[in-house]
Amino acid sequence: MGDSPLPIIAAERLHKTYRIGHVRVSVLRGATLSVQDGEWVAVLGSSGSGKSTLLHVMGGLDRPDTNGGQVTFRGAPLSARSASSLDSYRCRDVGFIFQHYHLLPELNVVENAVLPCVVAQSGALSLSGSARFQATAMELLDQCGLTHRLAHRPAELSGGERQRVALVRALVNNPTVLLADEPTGNLDAANGAAILDLIAARHQLGLTIVMVTHDTAIAARADRVVHLVDGAVI
Amino acid sequence: MYPALLAGRYLRSRLIPLIAVGAVALSVALVVIVVSVMSGFLDALKNSGRSLLGDVIVSAPIGGFPYSDEFIAELRKHPEVADATALVDTLGLLRMPYPQGSRKEVVPVQVWAIEPLSFARVTNYKSDLYWQRGSDEKRATMQPDDPRLDLEESLLTQGETLTTNSGAPAIVIGMHVSVANERQRDGSYRPRYNWFLPGMQTVLTVVPVTEGGRVGEQRDRAFTIVNELQTGVYEIDKNRVFIPLAVGQELLRMDAAPVVDTTAEPNAQGQYPIIGTSPSRVSKVLVRARDGILPSELAVVVQSTLDDFSVRVDGDSGRMTRVPMNTRVLTWEQQLRDIIAPVEKEREMMRILFSIIYIVCAGLILSIFWAIVAEKTRDIGILRAVGASRTGILSTFLLYGFAIGTIGSLLGVAVAVVVVRNINGIHDAIGQDAPTASWVVSSGIAVALAILCVHALMRSQVLRTLLWGIGCMTFALIATGLFLHRGTLIWDPAVYYFVRIPDSIDWNTALYTALGGILFSVLGAAVPAAKAADTDPVEALRYG
Repeated sequence: MGDSPLPIIAAERLHKTYRIGHVRVSVLRGATLSVQDGEWVAVLGSSGSGKSTLLHVMGGLDRPDTNGGQVTFRGAPLSARSASSLDSYRCRDVGFIFQHYHLLPELNVVENAVLPCVVAQSGALSLSGSARFQATAMELLDQCGLTHRLAHRPAELSGGERQRVALVRALVNNPTVLLADEPTGNLDAANGAAILDLIAARHQLGLTIVMVTHDTAIAARADRVVHLVDGAVI
Repeated sequence: MYPALLAGRYLRSRLIPLIAVGAVALSVALVVIVVSVMSGFLDALKNSGRSLLGDVIVSAPIGGFPYSDEFIAELRKHPEVADATALVDTLGLLRMPYPQGSRKEVVPVQVWAIEPLSFARVTNYKSDLYWQRGSDEKRATMQPDDPRLDLEESLLTQGETLTTNSGAPAIVIGMHVSVANERQRDGSYRPRYNWFLPGMQTVLTVVPVTEGGRVGEQRDRAFTIVNELQTGVYEIDKNRVFIPLAVGQELLRMDAAPVVDTTAEPNAQGQYPIIGTSPSRVSKVLVRARDGILPSELAVVVQSTLDDFSVRVDGDSGRMTRVPMNTRVLTWEQQLRDIIAPVEKEREMMRILFSIIYIVCAGLILSIFWAIVAEKTRDIGILRAVGASRTGILSTFLLYGFAIGTIGSLLGVAVAVVVVRNINGIHDAIGQDAPTASWVVSSGIAVALAILCVHALMRSQVLRTLLWGIGCMTFALIATGLFLHRGTLIWDPAVYYFVRIPDSIDWNTALYTALGGILFSVLGAAVPAAKAADTDPVEALRYG
């Protein structure tokens, strides 16, 4: 173990309990996962196994229970970060892509795509962002085949197009880690494959990916597959 | 900054913020309209006070103020003084020239005996004389049956000098002293029953009061009415009459008179020896300030002049009368304090009461924003996922509230400006029967909405049925109201002093009200914004 390289992101003995009414539900029970720089890890598990929760905690959207383990990024625990530092972590170091796309309905394709840049650069003058944001976003949108849809709003896009916009948004700040939560769960086979191809292409360029899915065929495209059962990685 | 950009985008892309904007606009408009009219009323009261009294009033006790000519000459030496005039005021009874027969109507009046030329330089007396032909421009706006179109030129001159064409002392009476003057909707007057008063005879009865306060015998004097006066202040126009100063002094025994020594032996004719002359006296001296001089500044000058004058008179052993110790020098605002103060208090009360509407406004914004935040929960989760801070989320919704408050307030002020500037036209319209076209068009709209309502009902569209139904009922009620409307007099000059509703905006109030609208909109948005900032992003993404 001492010779293995430092993981880029790691979950160490994570415990996470939710209270639903008067009932406490343990979702994560000592889940441990180390992901090396440039690695694509698929977390395979059934519905309710804690896949999304693991991803949220690793992405700094949620916190583990008190004394319930920790997440480290480049060896430093997220729990040691201030709120603003954690905001910055979500904005610059990781990119999220969700099953339900989660685009802002009032913004068009370009505006949704550059949203993390605008949040990062609070001095930006418009949602279309600066020239650098534009260039990065346009390049990604071009790669995703969305150049003809730039001024459209999410309601005017197909499911596959929406997910491609969500992917551009996740990648626009050039994050170190992509956290993908069932990214093809709402798509048909062709669109799902297209999204996976795009993700795989970014992986080829060195992007670290943690993707949760319940689909073994999709998980098979990853470098490594781990199973999450009853809140623990086995 | 993304909070401002998102707030702007939310504002433009949703219908619900327009309801909030409308609520803020109506609240602001309501406060600005009410307080502007009240402020205009107060300003009109103050302006009329100055135009009727000059800037500073020197008031003597009941015995009167002696040597007023000398005092006025002293005042005129000061650069702050534009002019001054003396008058005698008392109460009297005026026997009107109507009705026919011997039982004429008698009305109580406040008599001002004035020196008309100097009085006109201190007050707006000349321009307030109603029966004058006016400029060609003004004549062009008069109705064909307006008596002013065929007036004798001399009526104005007679009014200005309080003298008839034959040189006899004359009287000018307030426009509403006589019931014969019927006010028209355009503000002009027509004589009822052909009782056009200028040229008619009247009798004024006054009761002199001695310096010691004893009441003398009543004295009657016949006058020819040469003009009528309209100041715009109903209480003045209803009670006041003007006669020449010398006549008033004579009637009230305030004119110059010889003083006899009753302790000496009378001569062969039984007359006591004359030892001097008691000067004529006046009740008030009105002083007009030069332009740019404040009444308070002028009051200091007048008080100083009065003090010097009193010392000089007291030190002159040849004078028979002293300046009364309790002669008061007041600015017109101080003089009218009893009238102005209650109106000021009423205005502040209205401002406070109507400001409660801010709380309603804040509550409305709060409830609307609560709904917006609930609707935007998922967006909050997305923003948090891409790195937005809690402060950023808070700022987004606070800016949203600020934008709604700002737009609503500006819109409210704009509505208030339109309403206040046209308030007399609106009032006149309310005072008349509704035009046939108005209720016909409203009925037509109601019928059209009824057809749409039935159509939606047949297609089982519940929301459309409800909306068209409400619209139909609303226009049906409007049409019924317009059909039944027979004119309502809201602004009664007998109650509100003035014949026209003040129609200028109180810009200070507009500014403060707009700022209040913005502030309370932001306050209303604060709680939902804080709720948004506290939203758990995971929960927001999962259930939003």
